Amino acid sequence: MASSQHVLLSPAELAYLHASLSLIPPIRPDGRSPTQFRPLVAETGILPGTNGSARICFADGTEAIVGVKAEVERTALRPGEDTIYLEEGGLEGGDDGEEGSSEDKRKGDASWVEMTVEIPGLRDDDSGTAFLSAMLSEALLADGEFARRLWINRRFHWKLYLDIILISPPLSYPLPLLSLTTHLALLSTRLPRLKSEGDEDPFFDDDWAAAPYLFPRSSETSAHTTTSTTSTSTRPPITLLVMAVANNIIFDPSKEELAVADAALAVSVTSTSSHTTTADADPIRQAQAQEQEEKEGRNLRLLSIRTIDPPSRLTPPGVANAANAAYGASLGASGQQPQQQQQKSTAVVPVMASETEAVEGVWRPPRGGAKRAVLGALVQKVLEGGGVVDEVLDALEGVDLG
Amino acid sequence: MPITILPPKPARPLNTSHGAHPEDGSSLSSDESDSGGGGVGLDDGDISMNLPPTTTTTKNPAHSSHAHSLVTPGESITSDPQWMRGHGTYIATDTTAITSSVAGTITRTNKLLSVRPLRARYTPEVGDLVVGRIVEVQAKRWRVDVGSTQLAALPLSAINLPGGILRKRTETDELQIRTFFAEGDLVVAEVQQLFGDGGAVLHTRSLRYGKLRNGVFVAVSGVGGGGGVVRSRRQVWTMDVAQGAGQVDVILGVNGYVWISKHVETPAELEAGGATGAGAGAGAGVGITNMEEIVSATMYSSQNDPIEVETMREIARLRGVVMALVENGLRVDEDMVVKGYHEAVEMALASADGPEDVYLGDERGQQLAAALTGL
Repeated sequence: MASSQHVLLSPAELAYLHASLSLIPPIRPDGRSPTQFRPLVAETGILPGTNGSARICFADGTEAIVGVKAEVERTALRPGEDTIYLEEGGLEGGDDGEEGSSEDKRKGDASWVEMTVEIPGLRDDDSGTAFLSAMLSEALLADGEFARRLWINRRFHWKLYLDIILISPPLSYPLPLLSLTTHLALLSTRLPRLKSEGDEDPFFDDDWAAAPYLFPRSSETSAHTTTSTTSTSTRPPITLLVMAVANNIIFDPSKEELAVADAALAVSVTSTSSHTTTADADPIRQAQAQEQEEKEGRNLRLLSIRTIDPPSRLTPPGVANAANAAYGASLGASGQQPQQQQQKSTAVVPVMASETEAVEGVWRPPRGGAKRAVLGALVQKVLEGGGVVDEVLDALEGVDLG
Repeated sequence: MPITILPPKPARPLNTSHGAHPEDGSSLSSDESDSGGGGVGLDDGDISMNLPPTTTTTKNPAHSSHAHSLVTPGESITSDPQWMRGHGTYIATDTTAITSSVAGTITRTNKLLSVRPLRARYTPEVGDLVVGRIVEVQAKRWRVDVGSTQLAALPLSAINLPGGILRKRTETDELQIRTFFAEGDLVVAEVQQLFGDGGAVLHTRSLRYGKLRNGVFVAVSGVGGGGGVVRSRRQVWTMDVAQGAGQVDVILGVNGYVWISKHVETPAELEAGGATGAGAGAGAGVGITNMEEIVSATMYSSQNDPIEVETMREIARLRGVVMALVENGLRVDEDMVVKGYHEAVEMALASADGPEDVYLGDERGQQLAAALTGL
């Protein structure tokens, strides 16, 4: 499992951070409440040559741009499907019936979405970058719902290129930023309106103003429902970074906070309005499908969970005063040799003890795996009805799609 | 409200004819600490310090050959031979045109043209108080990140060895160099010496210097827009904080690294209070003769003292004040931080979330900055 970036912090800093984040309620270094995100500046439609684009900028200066570009691609026909196509080709007169039974025919393929993540200072085949891109694309493709939207007809589909670029150096683990920007870009993505019918070569409307959104807004669902007949208010997925310190659950951790995390999870969630339970979670992608009833009628659906290896495990442990040679030595060196001897000998025991026992004020990196109950609580907190995810989705929906 | 999403701000006009932006004024005075080096720069700095900010900014458009006072590297500033070139500029061979070598604003001091960079790394000067992070441990020295172009060096011979200031450095010390400072540790130190290439040598041979603990670290360097730590009379102070949270130490490193921590009484203060010394194991009382030894006993500790919740909250609030100052392009010095802190406490009392709310991001930061600049 790829780990997030390593941060260099002193044991004293780590101990302080851990202590302040373990309080109830936790005191975060920047004063945010546990569920509060860093304030961000967002805009969409910044790249004129794309089908959809977005830019998000955090107050600390981290900034990401996402561009979505679509092109029509011929669907490779597999032998089995080919015969079906020929069979149904004869039935093409019954075009009206297609809409009704299209659920099964609209098949998406993971290869229809190509995602590249660029992070300055890192190679594009760096494990961290590859992990980020895998996490973001798995959230998109986990339920197959997204790729199905790209279906044009049985011979053609849209191929979507998502280019995710982090402009600034990664000051904090960039996953939430990239995910939110991707979400916004997909919300603003529009595809030309299809004029042709059935399986003929696709022919599109020139009028860009008539182009429907890939994800129709809930208010406009009645206006443009030509492309998607399923779950009209489905939103693109968002991936949130959640971490646990002691008994506290903290959203959108900064770099320093992540450095003392006991456990960190990247949870991908989407919202649907359809009440059909799709149990087609791909076991390879470690995805789970769950449904959660929610107040406003928005169903949050868990798409995937990934554990992030927090850098806290790699941090150096602090040295307790009792075991610190430089701490006691000064007193011994002032002429009291026997006492120094004594201190040296007593120092051996605390060194052994500090490996297992916690001393207050001394940093001890977390050992072992995260507890089941903690992970469960993290996921529960994310999926909570009317909770953080709802507000984040509402806020993102409120961004003007210029 | 867990998330706030704002629309982007409209781009600020680069240089309006009478645009006396407050940011410009502060950038002039603050950048002194970053780039003011050498005779010309000092001269320059004195002038812009004496002048009120508005006067300085209105001088920029006075340099009429340019519509914008913002220049990029390689941009020709003027070819008029009456001007002398200052910092951040060069004259290309075979030409007489003064060209900018950095991205920044043009400043004019009499006949001297210089360009103040928008963002610059710290340029060490002898005597600067800096906060640094150990990034490398070598045989006889540490390499310290101080936000400069190069890592600073802290030789083993330039620290107070435990057991008295006059102790000779031994091979044992070299072998256990990591017991003093290890990778990641934060130190407060002073620039002792400069190399020709701008690299610095630090020392911690004072009881005020050494390893940092009991607090939080903020880096405000590398931020554009004119904010940042300014070289000032006092870089280190102890202040009383609200909510009965005791005292808090603030160290503003000239390099833009800031340390905010709980105030721990030094043995000298303890002695004044009649308490036993920190190094109780010494048996003898704390006197002027053995004070150094006892101080140096806690100098290399990486164990935090117990810190009250209230103190942690006020430390977080102070950190928020520093960040708000930086984000709003204000200078960071004792005066501003103390004023800003009191303002923040007032704001928290007035806010709906009560005095325990220490969040100072975004709108509240702007509110704070507005209150400070309005004073």
